[in-house]
Amino acid sequence: MWKNYLTRLVQSLPFFITGLWMTIAVSAISLAAGTLIGFFLGILRTRPNRLFRYLIGAWVDVIRGTPFLVQIFIVFFILPEFGIHLDAFPAAILALTNLGACFICEIVAAGIRSVPWGQKEAASSSGLTEWQQLRYVVMPQAMRTILPPLVGQYVLLIKDSSVVSVIGVTDVTRVGWLTVQRIPHGLMVFGLVGLLYFIICYPLIRLSNLLEKKMAKGTR
Amino acid sequence: MLETFNFRVIFEYMPFFLKCFTATLWLSGVGLVGALAVGTLACAMRISGSKLLSTAAGVYIESIRSTPLLVQIYFFYFGLPSLGIMVTEEITGVVALSLNSGAYIAEILRAGVQSIPFGQIEASLSSGLSYFQRMRYIVFPQALGVTIPPMLGQAIVLVKDSALLSLIAVTELTRAGQIMNSERFMPAEGFFTSAVFYLVIYFMLKSLAGWSEKRLIFRESR
Amino acid sequence: MIRFKNVHKWFGKIHVLNDIQLEVGAGEVLVVCGPSGSGKSTLIRCINRLEPIQKGELIVDGMEVHDHKTNMRKLRAEIGFVFQQFNLYPHMTALENVTLAPMKVRKISKKEAISAGMEVMEKVGLGDKIDAYPAQLSGGQQQRVAIARGLCMRPRIMLFDEPTSALDPEMINEVLEVMKALAREGMTMVVVTHEMGFAKEVAHRVAIMDVGQVIEIAPPHEFFSNPKSERTRLFLSKILSH
Repeated sequence: MWKNYLTRLVQSLPFFITGLWMTIAVSAISLAAGTLIGFFLGILRTRPNRLFRYLIGAWVDVIRGTPFLVQIFIVFFILPEFGIHLDAFPAAILALTNLGACFICEIVAAGIRSVPWGQKEAASSSGLTEWQQLRYVVMPQAMRTILPPLVGQYVLLIKDSSVVSVIGVTDVTRVGWLTVQRIPHGLMVFGLVGLLYFIICYPLIRLSNLLEKKMAKGTR
Repeated sequence: MLETFNFRVIFEYMPFFLKCFTATLWLSGVGLVGALAVGTLACAMRISGSKLLSTAAGVYIESIRSTPLLVQIYFFYFGLPSLGIMVTEEITGVVALSLNSGAYIAEILRAGVQSIPFGQIEASLSSGLSYFQRMRYIVFPQALGVTIPPMLGQAIVLVKDSALLSLIAVTELTRAGQIMNSERFMPAEGFFTSAVFYLVIYFMLKSLAGWSEKRLIFRESR
Repeated sequence: MIRFKNVHKWFGKIHVLNDIQLEVGAGEVLVVCGPSGSGKSTLIRCINRLEPIQKGELIVDGMEVHDHKTNMRKLRAEIGFVFQQFNLYPHMTALENVTLAPMKVRKISKKEAISAGMEVMEKVGLGDKIDAYPAQLSGGQQQRVAIARGLCMRPRIMLFDEPTSALDPEMINEVLEVMKALAREGMTMVVVTHEMGFAKEVAHRVAIMDVGQVIEIAPPHEFFSNPKSERTRLFLSKILSH
């Protein structure tokens, strides 16, 4: 019986690959957008302006304190009540970008705070503007602390992207969910899905570990 | 939209929400206990001298970390029946949660144990303590201090992870929101209320983490 | 050049600068010493507003530092600051450290900056280390690069906050020699330090601070041989007796 399932599964492989592309697409777009927004907000987070810090802090707490599934539902079901009707794909991108930006903001802020205060003083003492201090002195050094957890966060986002399957985005998880209705062998079907995620995520995890070791070596 | 926000409906459904809130706490709690058990075992296997045990644990941990929780949940939900194992969705859910968080807890414990200065081990070796005595009196108490904050972080993650169980028809907090959406077409009232309950748990755990970190810092500085 | 008038500063409840009246003229070398916690570091850090003052007036090179509206960037370009912890940028070579500010603040071209940078590195005796990273340099060399970094901006005032306190004893002299040469060339300098030999050689005046106040200020020959205050005497006996 299961040999039958296996052949059918192999026949469905193209379907899975399409799903995998969707997963990669959703993740990549959200990663890119989330990184840009996250860096911007992370820098704002470390400025002396109290209003920004509290606002961003509150937003971070809400995003970190609620399940991503609930956030996706809110984007997909509640935004229409405000007149914003989004298809599944844009809604997924919106929610995932929001999630990514939030966590990346925290990673960037922590990285900036890790740069010794004396560096900023030295830079400001020579008359550099805030922006110049950030660009030439603080950020290059902060990147050392930011890079490993940033890559780790990318892995988390790819995994979280599986949740968008519930609003109908045909990513590789949804393909698995649809397939298992026809090929009722959960172990095989989701074993395959898991394998596909593994192929993408495992190298990134190794990269993150490698970066962490390299960065730790560089510091005096 | 706020004018049309129907607080009366929320009030009406509040007993249901509270029941689901309790369910979420239950599921997360049992999941955490299970995760601690699995995690401790996996960690012990990982740091044991045996290459076989270490690799087995390693495979487990890396597979969990490189695949999404939802896929793991579906794996068990759809997979166990094909092995002939029929259990309730709750049990399936808790098993998936325990195995998932267990891997992360194994890593947290490993980091904690490895953070103990080697000099401590040497000192205890020199006084002739056995392996178990070393673990019990020297290693674990110190590892505990380092691991409590990340453990609480993992607890927060676990509570959020439990939301995925709503997708396999387990009655918990997120499902309450879904039901309000499908029965009453009021997704805002439903999901915002769920979100508030989750935030309550989040802030409680967060302050617990902050408090424990303060207390533990005292122990560090001798 | 630098004028403190009725200056007060608090860190929370601690009155760290208590009614400071001080004037430093152009070309003058002032050494400030005193026990730790006396406020001497805070004093010098107020001059380029790394620390703001809460009461009084502080006028540097004609600009009112105490006024919030003053554009400190312009003023800071005229003041070189050397830190106890060097604070060199670890991700840049020595030459890049030195030329960053001239290029970005004074907006001079890269070619000009490099030649000015090499000139100033020669001056501190490190012409052969322009491409070295701070991690490859000794403490004394790093501090000399820090001085070069300040000098390359062609400042009117150089401030030194305990420049040799973080150095191993055998490296203190190389840094002091550079500072002495600067003093002899007529640079306006305020130096917080315990190196009394330096003070005796090149300082025009020596000031001692304690609990936020300037206890005594006098030319070196008077300060060391005929101190007027009891606290000065006590302090001198402690630091000169090793």
